[in-house]
Amino acid sequence: MITRFIHHVRVDRPPAGESAAEARERLREKFPRGAVRRMTHLGLLIGSTLEGLALSADDAAVYASSFAETRALEDFLLSFPSASPLLFQTSIHPGGVQQVLIGRQQAVARLWPLAGQTRLVEQALLTALLETAPRVVLVGGEERGTWMLERGMASDRAFAFALSLSREADGAMGRLEFTPPPPDGAGSCPMLGAFADAVAERRPLAWRGTGGAWSLTWT
Amino acid sequence: MIFDADQLSTGIVACDGLTPLGNAEATVAALLDGRIALKLQPVLGRDGGDPVPLAVLGGTMDETLPPRWLEPLRTLATRIPPAAWGTGRYPVVVTSSNFGVGSMYAFTRDQDARHLRHGPPFASVDMLRRELGWGDDVTVFSHACVTAQLGLAHATRLLHAGIAERVLVFSFDFVSPFVAGGFHSLKILNGTMPAPFAVRDVGAIGLGDGAAFAVLARDAAGPQLEAHALHNEMHHFTANEPSGAGFKSTAHAMAKTARGRRVWIKGHGTGTLDAGRLEAETWAKVFPAAPLVSWKGSLGHTLGSCGLVELALTLAALRRGKIPGTIAGATPSFTSEVALAPFSANGFEAVVLASNAFGGAHAAMLLRPS
Repeated sequence: MITRFIHHVRVDRPPAGESAAEARERLREKFPRGAVRRMTHLGLLIGSTLEGLALSADDAAVYASSFAETRALEDFLLSFPSASPLLFQTSIHPGGVQQVLIGRQQAVARLWPLAGQTRLVEQALLTALLETAPRVVLVGGEERGTWMLERGMASDRAFAFALSLSREADGAMGRLEFTPPPPDGAGSCPMLGAFADAVAERRPLAWRGTGGAWSLTWT
Repeated sequence: MIFDADQLSTGIVACDGLTPLGNAEATVAALLDGRIALKLQPVLGRDGGDPVPLAVLGGTMDETLPPRWLEPLRTLATRIPPAAWGTGRYPVVVTSSNFGVGSMYAFTRDQDARHLRHGPPFASVDMLRRELGWGDDVTVFSHACVTAQLGLAHATRLLHAGIAERVLVFSFDFVSPFVAGGFHSLKILNGTMPAPFAVRDVGAIGLGDGAAFAVLARDAAGPQLEAHALHNEMHHFTANEPSGAGFKSTAHAMAKTARGRRVWIKGHGTGTLDAGRLEAETWAKVFPAAPLVSWKGSLGHTLGSCGLVELALTLAALRRGKIPGTIAGATPSFTSEVALAPFSANGFEAVVLASNAFGGAHAAMLLRPS
């Protein structure tokens, strides 16, 4: 069994339909004035969830998003034939978390950006559990799409979460356990948004994944 | 700051790649002959635009239905040793920076919604999964041009944690007007052919199609991946920290692992000036007299797949006993270690393979030939 303890927990679930401009207004105190106007909705939400967590260059980060920088992607596509360099670089995964860390000039030992969907949560968790860094921050989130959402190719809601995981049990808010022996057949893994909701509401989760059994509990 | 590498050795059971010059063996043969796959082509394909250096399988990057990457990947996959991939103790790790993003560009041009079915990363991987008969234990990484190295490092961790018996790492990146237009907008993909590590007035990259796979096992004989080093400096989206601190972090980690063994270095070497100079100078300082090569002057930059494509080429070159030099390089180079001509693999005990990416991401791995 691999166990990690959860310390920092923060989830940002904005009101449905919040725009990036509204998020900038709501969250502007959390960011340097010069940076906030260039940040995407997802970047703002991730920055909000990392507030209060002082990272170090020895830490590692795992970043999970199925659709990532949807709005930059949409707008970049519409910028052709005069492609926008700013939108291009913003659209590249893992731009959401990089906006925040570059804004802080915060190096990290390793960054593991994942981009799956149906088993994304357990793959991100497993990546975090296999990290050798003393502390791993697990960040995830999505932003709401517009024309790509109409085609089913974007998230229908915006959210972000951040958890810090370590081997230190003292003061932990919860624990994550993974038991590797492969179970007979995998169950359904929570989707990223459902996982964010469970974290926000401190609800326990348990499921059988492709590589073993998972348990998320809260103290 | 110097970080330690993951020193978890894994054997390479099988590895091959695909470029516009053929599979890994054919590509290395072509590189040894000095062939250049890059050709000047319109940056937006059939939509025109400035001519830029692209190396494209089939000659055109215009999107098709099904996507043009599917058939070459089917062919490449026939060389993967059979196993219950994507199930139980045989997980798959897919790495890319493009996935099917070219299909989204195509959709904006012809409004054919069928393109979107494989647009997002997970959707293109699902298409691959169905085509190749994999289960759903398929982890998807996307970290720009260090992605493949991340996948290999993660696979190694899965093996050493006892979670997997063998891991298939599969990578593909195919050029599209989306990505060519993006790099063109940044002005690093322009009308100039790349000359990696050369001192010149204008930097330039080329872009190329590439795909590769590796099957890793913990106790397999043969070539060994001995260590992986990763670092993210988070200085700027598209520029490196000017002191070269990010390059130094992975280079020093490799030096600690190499422990004085004689190495040659397969650099990242895209053809940009600032990054090329920082990279060449760092390797020369940390591994004095170690030959440094880049093959992106022929093949172009295969982006998120470059780490695995170039691993496959390295293994093929080692089997031949002769290493291609820096194709399309030129004198003067940034350092005297830049090898322009092919050289013998004899006498070298290990190879360092480096990749770098947007966001100041740095990756390197140490390969010990069998």
